[in-house]
Amino acid sequence: MKYYTPSSLSELNDLFLQTNNSKITILSGGTDILPRWEEGITLPKHLIDLKKINSISGIVEHDNKIIIGALTTVQDIYKSELIKTKYTALHQAASQFAGVQIRHRATIGGNICNASPAGDLLPGLYVHNAMIELTGPNGTRKLPINKCITGVGKTTLNNNEIVSAVILEKTEELSVFYKLGLRQSMAISVVNFAIAYRQTSPNLFDLQSIAAGAVAPTVVYLKEFTKAVNEGLPLEKAISLIEHDISPIDDIRASADYRKTVLKNLLTHKLKELYV
Amino acid sequence: MIGFYLNGKPVFGEFNPGTTLFDYLRDQEIFSVKFGSEKGETGADSVLLDGKVMNSSLLLMHTIDGKVIETIESFSQGVDVHPLQEAFIEEGAVQCGYCTPSMILAAESLLRENPTPNDDYVRESLSGVYCRCTGFVKPIQAIMKYATSREDR
Repeated sequence: MKYYTPSSLSELNDLFLQTNNSKITILSGGTDILPRWEEGITLPKHLIDLKKINSISGIVEHDNKIIIGALTTVQDIYKSELIKTKYTALHQAASQFAGVQIRHRATIGGNICNASPAGDLLPGLYVHNAMIELTGPNGTRKLPINKCITGVGKTTLNNNEIVSAVILEKTEELSVFYKLGLRQSMAISVVNFAIAYRQTSPNLFDLQSIAAGAVAPTVVYLKEFTKAVNEGLPLEKAISLIEHDISPIDDIRASADYRKTVLKNLLTHKLKELYV
Repeated sequence: MIGFYLNGKPVFGEFNPGTTLFDYLRDQEIFSVKFGSEKGETGADSVLLDGKVMNSSLLLMHTIDGKVIETIESFSQGVDVHPLQEAFIEEGAVQCGYCTPSMILAAESLLRENPTPNDDYVRESLSGVYCRCTGFVKPIQAIMKYATSREDR
């Protein structure tokens, strides 16, 4: 395995051209990659460590946008006052993400590229309509997050592209995140979800979107349910509509039935809290 | 060739690309860094990297070039233990001791960022360490006691 540490995006692009067509793995925090190697997955031929590319780290405000560099750690997202006040779901997800040790190392870019259906930062990014900036030798392009992640561990990134930033529009929308794990910390989500909403009057909310994780191959929007609730259908009747958008599976953490039931119950509970 | 500081001393060396900091520290007989799993799940492998607590088994040696690494060995000088270690002893926060170095490093990482933490903050700082004998109440008391005693000074 050859190890590279480019210190700028142009150095990275040169590397991509040099190592053309051979097996490359991109390293960010490494908190998902290293455990996989320990499980016996063979080491890649080329390992490109992004951590010295300072230009893609940190959170900046830009006109009507917030740009989160791909190398920004989960702990930095958790500690950001801007994220806490404007993108609460993302803050709450970061606060429940693994434990402090992992949060200090894991990055938002890595959480996206790992493309786990249970990735904790993802539902918050979905409901805030995050745009993902991809960079490579052929330039930069931007994709909505749900077009970037296409399946379990699958993304639309080309071999010579990296996620360089996450772009969030400034918004008046409020959001919340909820996670059910088998313990309070260091737990992979059994289900998780984020809700974005607008407060139209003191006791009235307009749901913008709901995204749920660990109930389908990717995080999914619960469109039918959201629409029905906004049209005034009582929660108890509307809740079964989530089944249009989810396809949970049985795994080591929970059964498909449990995931479906618990998502219905938790969503109803959380929405009732909002509507009180 | 990579170079870094380990407990205040500069170290230079060549390492295989797959070698983790955990592998290296155990080879150096720094046995306070414990095996829990190779996946960072237990937190028993904690070290401080530039003052922040992290899992040594999730750090490749190549990625610590230019960094400052601390283990619990740097906290005590001979038989004189650090006041935070003293607080753990006084509060009875140590039973088997397996995760204790990691708990103290996690607490130190927190206290460098926030010298006057509240109870919730301390609980959160221990979130990445599994303890299966002492539990968390006594360690939290020890950390609060130490933090308060420093404030009083």
